[in-house]
Amino acid sequence: MSSFAFLEQLWIARYVILTGLGTTVSISLLAIVAGSLAGVLVGLALVYGGRVLRLVVRAYTDIVRGTPVLVLVLASYYVSAAAGVDLGPFSAGILALAVFCSSHIGEIVRGALQAIPKGQTEAAKAIGLTFGQTFTSVLWPQALRQCLPAWVNTAAEMVKASTLLSVIGVAELLLRTQEIISRNFMSLQFYFLAGALYFIVNFGIERLGKYVERKTALPS
Amino acid sequence: MTISFRAGALSLAVSAALLSTPAFADGSKLDEVIARGHLILGTGSTNAPWHFKSAEDKLQGFDVDMGRIVAKALFGDPDKIEYVNQSSDARIPNITTDKVDITCQFMTVTGERAQQIAFTIPYYREGVGLMLKADGQYADYAALKAAGSSVTISVLQNVYAEDMVHAALPDAAVDQYESVDLIYQALESGRADAVATDQSSLAWYMTQNPGRYKDAGYGWNPQTYACGVKRGDQDWLNFVNTALHEAMTGVEFDFYATSFKTWFGKELTPPQIGFPVEFK
Amino acid sequence: MGYTLNFAAVWRSFDLLLSGLALSLGLAVVSIFIGAAIGLAVAFALTSKSRLAGVPARLYVTVIRNLPILVLVLFAYFALPQMGFRLGKIESFVLVLSLYSGAYLAEVFRAGLLSIPRGLTEAGLAIGLTPMQIRGSIIAPLMLRNVLPSLSSTVISLFKDTSLAAAIAVPELTFAARKINVESFRVIETWMVTSALYVATCFLIAALLRQVERRLALPR
Repeated sequence: MSSFAFLEQLWIARYVILTGLGTTVSISLLAIVAGSLAGVLVGLALVYGGRVLRLVVRAYTDIVRGTPVLVLVLASYYVSAAAGVDLGPFSAGILALAVFCSSHIGEIVRGALQAIPKGQTEAAKAIGLTFGQTFTSVLWPQALRQCLPAWVNTAAEMVKASTLLSVIGVAELLLRTQEIISRNFMSLQFYFLAGALYFIVNFGIERLGKYVERKTALPS
Repeated sequence: MTISFRAGALSLAVSAALLSTPAFADGSKLDEVIARGHLILGTGSTNAPWHFKSAEDKLQGFDVDMGRIVAKALFGDPDKIEYVNQSSDARIPNITTDKVDITCQFMTVTGERAQQIAFTIPYYREGVGLMLKADGQYADYAALKAAGSSVTISVLQNVYAEDMVHAALPDAAVDQYESVDLIYQALESGRADAVATDQSSLAWYMTQNPGRYKDAGYGWNPQTYACGVKRGDQDWLNFVNTALHEAMTGVEFDFYATSFKTWFGKELTPPQIGFPVEFK
Repeated sequence: MGYTLNFAAVWRSFDLLLSGLALSLGLAVVSIFIGAAIGLAVAFALTSKSRLAGVPARLYVTVIRNLPILVLVLFAYFALPQMGFRLGKIESFVLVLSLYSGAYLAEVFRAGLLSIPRGLTEAGLAIGLTPMQIRGSIIAPLMLRNVLPSLSSTVISLFKDTSLAAAIAVPELTFAARKINVESFRVIETWMVTSALYVATCFLIAALLRQVERRLALPR
């Protein structure tokens, strides 16, 4: 009886759930792409920047990483609003997630670059490569491979963090789920459905990451 | 105490930004809204019967209807509304940062809030009630009260939520939740012995789940629900007040009464003809 | 007509925030210690050759890491009692955060275990230690020292995850902030102060872990 009622409600809500899932995926994707690009710059600044730049960027990453994502989301929405840049909830949410993402990716890139033995840079210099050449053909490919597992983790974190955008009214999967629950009051059933969908998305990301990792692994 | 703008980088950014928001220089929000051609209404989407989504994914509820009354007064068309979906936390910031023209979202009027936004005239008087499981351990309010500190009451996080429960059940333990579905869930899973929340919400929930719950038969804690607009624009506030007032006493009474019947299940008696009801 | 920041309501309820912070820290410390024990056992299982240990361990880590923690929190608090397993709200949150920490720390520890040369195990066997003794007194301590630098970001994000306890009415820091919000509606001010408390605490945790790292470092 009750499982039948659930299936009925599920059928009624099918499009709503799918659009919510679509929004969650597109938010996460945009935030991961923007955050990764910014994060690479942050990582480079942390490793190769001058003293002042390093200090500023270090403060940025430490503060962002110490702040709950919810707070970043609220700040991005209201500060931008009042600053005259009228970001809608969707853009403001992506901005907040991308900023959060960039601080994590920045740390990961920094760790990966610093893990490469100094000797390689010296060797590259010895055979006459410029720093630009050394970076693009010696350091960066290795760092990228090293980054991959942590980067995949961060991507999965971003999907989970996208739930917080419900607070500023972005109709992502969690808010859509809450809307359905407020109509039919089947909390547990629909929360678990949402949980299962998040699991599927993240599991997909994890498998994709493993696949790329295998493809790019050095033959041993 | 007002903190100056030296309170740190973030506060500087926030406050500088907030202060630079242009107050509509010449003319009122009223002219701005009319020129725009639609009303921007802030409300939620997760609390029946106030503001929630229908099976067709359309926003509906009593709060939504209050916004529709204002839109009808503005444009002769209750559907000329752009909704801004907001959580309860966002109600006041969205007004003060001009994200919305007006917010109608079961907002309890309090003095502290009235310092930040301007409240319209009230459109509903709410009271709190207690709901029990039909087959539960406690029969009614007297049984709950007699059980003293061994009962747990689940409530929605709200102003003075704890004091509110203790006014009726002085010794009960109080658990506060962020969303309405969770306070019902707490009762359902035995985490709480009773739910204390708005009588309107309880009535709605009991109609949706016939036979499973019962009212403990005690009501208290009156509170006023009103819409909110930005402070400092008397013209706009007057307009909204007029629209709501005429819906409760004048030409749009049918609109209000139909909505009342839909969401609260009660027929209203039309205002008496003759001497204005306001001055009785 | 501008918005003037007014912190009076926040300072008036500052005690509430502080006691919330204390509870957040308590939840984090207890859960992370239990999680570390789980994580250590799971990490050994993940790196062992036995499939009997490896497969369930992998399953545990995959499932937990890919679910939003909010779903787990709601499940433990609302669904478990309906299945006859009833814990108080604090206990049920600690259970969830411990399992969650366990899965994250297992991954960190696993990486640490892989970096320990096999020779040490062989040497241990040669001097007559049992495999359990080797794990407990040789490998685990070395591994812990190796992973300390990468531990800090995991610990910090687990600390921030205590904010999810607010969903089941545990009066930790986020709950306290929301309570002040609904009472005063000074949302921007409250989140500013609250995020400052989170950031400061995360800094302290990071500094503390760096201190431990320095203490335990091998003399060079």
